[in-house]
Parts: sequence; structure tokens; C-alpha cells
Amino acid sequence: MSAVDITFFINAAVAIFAGWRVFVTDSMVRASFFLLISFLAVGVIMLLLAAVYLGVALFFMMAVEMMVMALFMVMFMMNPAGLNPMKMVHQEKVAIGVGVVVFAALSAVAVFGEFPSRPVPEGLQPVVSLGHELLGKSMLVFESAGVTLLATMIAVVMLTSHRGRYGDANHGSQPPGLEPGGDPADKPEETEEGGHHHHHHHHH
Amino acid sequence: MTLTTLLIVAAALIGIGIYGTLSQQSFVMLMMGLELIVNGAMLAAVSFWALSAAGAPEGQLLTIVAMAVMAIEMAMGFALVVAVFRAKQADTTEALDGLKH
Amino acid sequence: MTITLLLASVGTVLLALLVGVYCVTAVDRAVAARITGEPRSPLLLAPLHTAARLWHAPHNETETPDRSAWRLAPVLYLVLAAMGLALVPWSRDFVPVDLTTGIVFWGAIEPLATVLIFLKGWASNAHFPLLGGYRYVSLGLSYILVSMFVLIGVALPAESLQVSAVVEAQSELWNVVRQPLGLPLFLIVGLGVSFWGPLNFVDAEDLHGGAASEEAGRVQLLWGLGRAAMLFAFSAIAASAFLGGWHGPWLPGPVWLMVKTLAVVWMLVALGHYVPRVSPERFLTIAWVILLPLAFLDLAWAGVEALL
Repeated sequence: MSAVDITFFINAAVAIFAGWRVFVTDSMVRASFFLLISFLAVGVIMLLLAAVYLGVALFFMMAVEMMVMALFMVMFMMNPAGLNPMKMVHQEKVAIGVGVVVFAALSAVAVFGEFPSRPVPEGLQPVVSLGHELLGKSMLVFESAGVTLLATMIAVVMLTSHRGRYGDANHGSQPPGLEPGGDPADKPEETEEGGHHHHHHHHH
Repeated sequence: MTLTTLLIVAAALIGIGIYGTLSQQSFVMLMMGLELIVNGAMLAAVSFWALSAAGAPEGQLLTIVAMAVMAIEMAMGFALVVAVFRAKQADTTEALDGLKH
Repeated sequence: MTITLLLASVGTVLLALLVGVYCVTAVDRAVAARITGEPRSPLLLAPLHTAARLWHAPHNETETPDRSAWRLAPVLYLVLAAMGLALVPWSRDFVPVDLTTGIVFWGAIEPLATVLIFLKGWASNAHFPLLGGYRYVSLGLSYILVSMFVLIGVALPAESLQVSAVVEAQSELWNVVRQPLGLPLFLIVGLGVSFWGPLNFVDAEDLHGGAASEEAGRVQLLWGLGRAAMLFAFSAIAASAFLGGWHGPWLPGPVWLMVKTLAVVWMLVALGHYVPRVSPERFLTIAWVILLPLAFLDLAWAGVEALL
């Protein structure tokens, strides 16, 4: 067994183990960092496969993404530190079943499928080849991804901004009730500013 | 490190991701499941590129597109979570059982 | 042969890291002594005294900390610094790790360091550290973009993402002359990534010490080492990216690299002492409204220069 193989098996095990831990750990912050570990291990496997740019790109993309993920975790979760045991799942048996079936089906494809064995040629420079592809034949695809990202940014700012042209983002919204059909739980109080604004509006 | 073992690892990541996506109640955890699926898909794409496609540059391009998809998914996901939380104080999928208000 | 090379690479990186940490601490004390006007003669052994005292000091315990993260984060931060230092070429033939995407790899080390610094604030499960960690992340997300653009600008004239190629491309003209905006912007990134001086939002005084307020003993020592090592590794990368790395007349390459690295270390430490601390929200405005457009300008400059 070569050093490459040993590195591969260690990283594969880490990727799968960390991916599994994401959904069983109590702490939400830990969950996002377990996902980061899973991505880092996959990045190392990509480096082993000579995808030098993609592996390293995965490192920095995922470090930033998971950092943001952890911040959101802390903002939205009741139990970010995992001090209490926590299991927030629904239809778990179905989910496990589907997960296992998908894994089995895809593995069957991997084991029984016949794929041509054409490894990367000796002299290929992966980064150069990727660069020529991105800014050559596939420039349209690459630039479309860029424009889509720009559109995403605009949409995200629009969705998350507190106020639009016609008033507050949460104007008229109702939190769900504690029990089905019950009174709205924890309705946010009208802010001082909001009420003032309304008052003025009526006067004019 | 053969194509088969690589694809099995990718399949395991996708399987775990699907479990997470289907089973998690919290939006952010659900998104983690989606991320894990894309993680497995990217690994499979790079494996095919390296071992079965003779280093065709489109294989790497596909992975770049998958990364862009993941970034968009994250950004839109968080924006929607923020918008939904602002509107309904909800952070789990169960709280969104109606189409309006 | 390969084993010898491997051992030489590992040995060089570790030795450079040790020497670098000591130099950073010594330079820091020297600059501080110069500012305060106190005598600096007995200071040469002082970093070692501090290290020994911290090594034997007891560990601090808070209520239900994230123990593994608390202990692992400083160690991994130190490892990141070592990985960064390994990318630096010492001469034309001797590069410990000559990755074809070395520049991008350094770009990956910075966000990973941000994750670990967040854990530094998070792990102890206490108020001030958590505030420090949070403030640092908002800082980190703003300086990483600046760093990326500046580094792409450096890679353009070399037509390569390899650090050795970037150094090679500076045999005629250093990047600090070719792209005058690059080094100043990159120095700010260096202060950020090693949370030094005005950009030390995580251990800040105004937060009662921030993340450091709950640290003691070996964790504190490891973070001190890690910060100094990161500052040194950053300086070595900056020296390679902007000051021509090992290029220089008369002296051998490694000596030139060391001299330039220490010059950058001195610049960073002096900046840390002389530049006043800004409030985090003000720094965010500065980062997005001033530094990021300047980084765009730097990249456009580099592009036009590469086309001409």
C-alpha cells in the first residue's frame, strides 16, 4: 500500500465520519465545523487526484462558508453550544431508509458499472488546463456563473433588508401559534419608529 | 485509491447528506445536508475527471460550477431563513405549514 | 535522496518557525522599549522567561467549556503558520513545498485561521471571549477579500500561482515597485491574520482582554507562540510576494529572505505599536469602502501592467 493510498483511506474515513457527526452532535457550532472537516478531507483527496486548484479552492471556500454557517447557527438555534442533548428531526426512519437506499444504489453503480480507465496524462498541467477552459471554450458557462452570483447577491440583499420602498419587511406578518390554530406566539412589538411613521402617514 | 473506492466514498457522503436533508427540522441543519450532497457530487466529478476522462478540462469546470451552486445555495438559503424568521419567528420547517401567513 | 530532502524541508521550516517566533517577540519588545524609553539590555532572555512561566502556570477552567476546541485551536493555528512558512522558497532550488497553487493555498490559510480564532473566542464559554471571537469574524470576512485581490495581482506578472514562480518573476523588478498599492494593503492583512496591534479585536483591551481574559497557562502560551509564528510566516510570504524573496546581490538566498522577512516583521510590529486602535465598526467601513476598492485598483493596475 502506497503512501497515497494510506492518505486517501484516512481522509475518506475522516470525510465520512465527520459528515455523519454533523447530524448527531448536540452542538450546532460543532456541527458546522464537522462539516468543514468533511470538506477539508475531500479537498485533500482532490489534491491526491492532482486537482491542485480545486482542492485548495475547496479549502478557502468552505472555511468562509462554514464560518458564516456557525454564525447563523448561533443566531438561530436555541442550543448552539450543545450543553443539552438535542435531536431535532422528523420522519427519521424514512430519512435513514432513503439515505441507505441512495448509498446502496450509487455504490452499486460504482461497483458494477463499467467506466473507461483513462487516467490524467503525465504531462497535463491541471491548473493551466482549467484556466484555458474557464477563459476559453467555456467562458460563457463561467461568466454565467458569475452573473448568477451577482443576481444572487442582489436577491439576498433584497430579501434580507429590513425595509423596502413600501414599508417594513415584516409589516403584517404573524408568528405561528404555540399550538395549531392558537394565538400568535411572541408577536414582535411595534417599534417606536414604526408607529411614529404610521402616525405621520395618516396625518398627511 | 481506485475509481470504485472513490465513488463509494462519494456515495456515502451523498447518502448522509440525503439523510440530513430529509430528517432535520432546522433550516440551517437542512442546508448542511444539501452541502454534504454537493460535497459528494464534487468528489465524484473530480474522480471521474482524474481517472476516467483523461483529464478533460470540462471535468474541472463542472466542479467549479458545483462550487458556484453551493455558494448560491448558501446565500439564498440564509437570506430565506432571515426573511422567514423575520416574518414568522420560525426557524424550523414545521412552523411553515401554511402557504400564507 | 527524497528522504534527505524531506527531512531538510521539515527541519528548515521548524527551525525557521522557532527562530521566527523568538525574533518577533524580541523585535516587539525592542520597539516597545524604544517607545517607552526603558533600557532593553536585560530583555534578550525575557521571552524565554515568559514562556517558561506560562508553561508551568495552571490551566484556567470555565463553566462547561468546549474542551477539545479550546486545546486544539491554538495547536492548529500554529500548524497553519507552519504550513504557510513551508510555501516560502529559500533559494532557486530549495522550496520545502512547491505547490503549483501556493498563492491560493496561502489564501486558504487566512480563512482557516479565522475559523480557529473564532473557536478561541467560542471555546471558553464566557462572555468577553465570545464577543471577541464574533468581532474578529466580522473583521476576518472583510480583510480576506482584500488579501485575495492583492495576491491575484502578485500572481499576474508571474503568470503562475506558484510562490517560487512569483519570486522568480521579480528578478528584474520587485513587486513592491511594480504594484505600489500591494504591500501596504497586504500588511494590513498581516495585522489582521495574526490579530496584532490595531486589528487585535479578539483579545482587545476594550473587551477586558476579550478571548484572552479566560486563558492561562499553556493555552495562553500556545496562542502567543501561534500569533508570533503566524506573523513571521506572513512576513516571509510578504517578503516573497513583494520584496523579491531570496533575490539579492552578494549574499546567499536564504540570508536575503531572512533579512527581508525580518524587515517586514519590524514594519508590522512598528505599525502595531504606532497605529492607534480603531473601533471594529469603523474598521469595517474602512475595509469595505476604502481598502477593498484600493485592492480592486491594485488588481486593475497589475492587469494593465501585465498587458503592456
